[in-house]
Amino acid sequence: MRVTARIASLCCAVLLSQAATAADALPQRWVSAGGSITEWVVALGGESKLVGVDTTSLHPIELKKLPSIGYQRQLAAEGILSLKPDLLLGSEEMGPPPVLAQVKGAGVSVEALPTKSDLATLEHNLGRIGALLGDEPRAAKALADYKARLQTQAKWVSTAQADKPAPTVLLLLSHSGSSPMAAGQDTIGAWLIAQAGGRSITTHTSYKALSTEALLALDPQVIIFADRSIAGPEAKAALLKQNPALAATRAAKNDRLLALDPTLLVGGLGPRIPDALAVLGAAFYPAATPLTAVAKPQP
Amino acid sequence: MLCAENLAVQRGSKLVLSGINLTLQPGEVLGVLGPNGAGKSTLLDALSGELKPSEGQVTLEGKPLSAWVGPERAQRLAILPQTSTLNFAFRVEDVVGMGRLPHATGRVRDQAIIAEALAAADAAHLAGRNYLELSGGERQRVHLARVLAQLWPGARGQTLLLDEPTSMLDPLHQHTTLQATRTIAASGVAVLVILHDLNLAARYCDRLLLLQGGRPHALGTPYEVLQAEPLQAVFDLEVLVQHHPERGHPLIIAR
Amino acid sequence: MNPVVLPRSLFIALGLLLALALLFSLALGPVSLPWLDTLKATLRVFGAPLGGAELDQAELIIGQIRMPRTLLGLAVGAVLALSGVAMQGLFRNPLADPGLVGVSSGAALGAAMAIVGGAWLGGLPDAIAPYLLSACAFAGGLVVTALVYRLGSRNGQTSVSTMLLAGIALTALAGAVIGLFTYLADDATLRTLTFWNLGSLNGASYSRLWPLLVVTLAVGLWLPKRAKALNALLLGESEARHLGFEVERVKRELVFCTALGVGAAVAAAGMIGFIGLVVPHLVRLLVGPDHRVLLPASALAGAALLLFADVLARMVLAPAELPIGIVTALIGAPFFLYLLLRGRA
Repeated sequence: MRVTARIASLCCAVLLSQAATAADALPQRWVSAGGSITEWVVALGGESKLVGVDTTSLHPIELKKLPSIGYQRQLAAEGILSLKPDLLLGSEEMGPPPVLAQVKGAGVSVEALPTKSDLATLEHNLGRIGALLGDEPRAAKALADYKARLQTQAKWVSTAQADKPAPTVLLLLSHSGSSPMAAGQDTIGAWLIAQAGGRSITTHTSYKALSTEALLALDPQVIIFADRSIAGPEAKAALLKQNPALAATRAAKNDRLLALDPTLLVGGLGPRIPDALAVLGAAFYPAATPLTAVAKPQP
Repeated sequence: MLCAENLAVQRGSKLVLSGINLTLQPGEVLGVLGPNGAGKSTLLDALSGELKPSEGQVTLEGKPLSAWVGPERAQRLAILPQTSTLNFAFRVEDVVGMGRLPHATGRVRDQAIIAEALAAADAAHLAGRNYLELSGGERQRVHLARVLAQLWPGARGQTLLLDEPTSMLDPLHQHTTLQATRTIAASGVAVLVILHDLNLAARYCDRLLLLQGGRPHALGTPYEVLQAEPLQAVFDLEVLVQHHPERGHPLIIAR
Repeated sequence: MNPVVLPRSLFIALGLLLALALLFSLALGPVSLPWLDTLKATLRVFGAPLGGAELDQAELIIGQIRMPRTLLGLAVGAVLALSGVAMQGLFRNPLADPGLVGVSSGAALGAAMAIVGGAWLGGLPDAIAPYLLSACAFAGGLVVTALVYRLGSRNGQTSVSTMLLAGIALTALAGAVIGLFTYLADDATLRTLTFWNLGSLNGASYSRLWPLLVVTLAVGLWLPKRAKALNALLLGESEARHLGFEVERVKRELVFCTALGVGAAVAAAGMIGFIGLVVPHLVRLLVGPDHRVLLPASALAGAALLLFADVLARMVLAPAELPIGIVTALIGAPFFLYLLLRGRA
């Protein structure tokens, strides 16, 4: 009996110590580059581990207190090393490659995650972040919730579309209202429009400037505008002021100009996407019951 | 000895210089006269190798100009252009010192030559000044000192070509400049100088070439060339030719 | 005006300045290392068996990050300044810039082709992308310069003023093609292009360094041999010919050295402005225009200045980094204006 008890306690001790080493091996000081990846780190409870972020990591707002390592494509090795991280996590847009090699050479593990806007990529990324945080279950739950919300969204859209045809939607990315660029077919902007139940009416790829006449010819029912420097009603006023022709579109006449946070459009699927989809969906189908309490159409 | 044989220069389809047969004799100052556009500067460019002749050739010491190696030619042939475009703040000695670039005589000897050449051009007092702060006439004298330094102390077999070296000078320095060319000619250097002032030409030149429309109108001593008829023909100017009361050379007075 | 300083004292001062710049560049960075560790680690980089594992991090920072970066800055600064001297001599204008013969715009065009073209091909492998970018920038600079030179030549004679105009025209043309690439590029590619145009010594590595070091050494040894010819060239081309110089050959060599030097510098560090313009000008103010002094002094001053600018670039926003082109322009442009206003007074 005694012996078995001893062996049992010994086994427990070994197991415990192994568990302890596993926790020790997890990176404790993280530098994160790439907006939506940083958001996921925070969403999965890793905010306390972050010691530095890049200039595209803007959410949540508390991240601004952390040292900035500059733009994700133009990182500097020594700057990152000065933060004494043991992990540099970021999107595959991180660079330049020689700098990543230098950081790796200094013994920092470098993790570059893909940024494609689809669920398979998200599943992979959440899996990695969960493993690095040592909290896979939380990551798995977050993924399941995310998928469920998108499914609910899809169902809501098909119900809404049974009553009304999908509105034609144009997404414009602008800077203080000037030189708006329209989101093309392959952009996350078009994906957002489709998921929220709209029909994106552009035929080009990536973001392109459209002429005033082309805008009028498209005559979208809804215009989503994402402004990089100003937000809300001011951005709307600026957009209409800089582009008077917009006022002649159906969207403007019916006051269906919707603001969107431009940070949602970069770096793949972020945690705030389902909320944004609900808001957009509610605005696309004003007659339908909104999916969430937050998703009331904005004035 | 610089020799031009049956020299002709064409610009486009226009013959701007033709029928030039000229030998610059050691120790002689040859003046070139002619109205604007007569081809004086073209002649100088052709003689210095800047312009390729369409006919004939120029030889230096019996060898075609183009066959000479750069520095060796530069040790025998120096050219003073009408104007200079130097736009950098060299010291006056440095500008004159450029005349020593074709030589390998050493720093000490070069400095002595630079001082002598500056003195010969009556520009010794300009030493140490910034070239860009000089007046047009002072600059012209510095460049004269530069080409003098290039041939200093002067010897037979060397040639100096000067394009209107007195154009910006006050009366005194017109004379000192031409006196300097006489001095270097005395050492055996053959000098060709383009001039506008007939009386300066009369006083300082051994021979004169009168150009008209790119062709030689007259070539000879000042007494032969500076006559009322050729001057009337070339310059369309009526003149009286007298004798200098002290020196005896021709003195040209417009009527 | 007599030179403000004698060449000898200038060389001593510039030597000390460069030594200080090298010291700063090796000793200062976002990671603060004790001076003693910096010294020991530097010696260890050069093979001295010093210290233990506690120096590993310092050795890595010095050996793999600061040392290649310092060498890059040294070479880029020196070669840009030398090229500036060569171009100001060739164009006989103290305000000429190496960019005049189209080498910078050609390199920018090459880089734009590599960056945007690479993005079209679905992204180049990380292993070759930086090399391809450098190679394209270098080739672009050489091709455009060769074209400018060809356009400026007729019957074996090169007209410097025609070259100048051809350079302006081809720069405009290259700008238009870059604009086209910019239009076609997506957002992320665009930012890469923008940052490249601002220049950086960031991410220097030995493997990408040696072509530039070879070119800098070659240009740095060759141009001083042409110092006398450059002096004579300032008098005018025919005057230089009359002083016995083979002017056409000298011009060809100057253009070639500039294309090679600026091309390699731009390929390794992107566009870094004002060094080639301001440094020769500044040195000329101090010791006068004699190229026998001007060329080596400008190389020293250019290297020192760029290293100081780089120390600023990496320290000001640490741990992020300012593109060095911004620093050199922020220092260079006001200084240039000062020179202009001073000249007018």
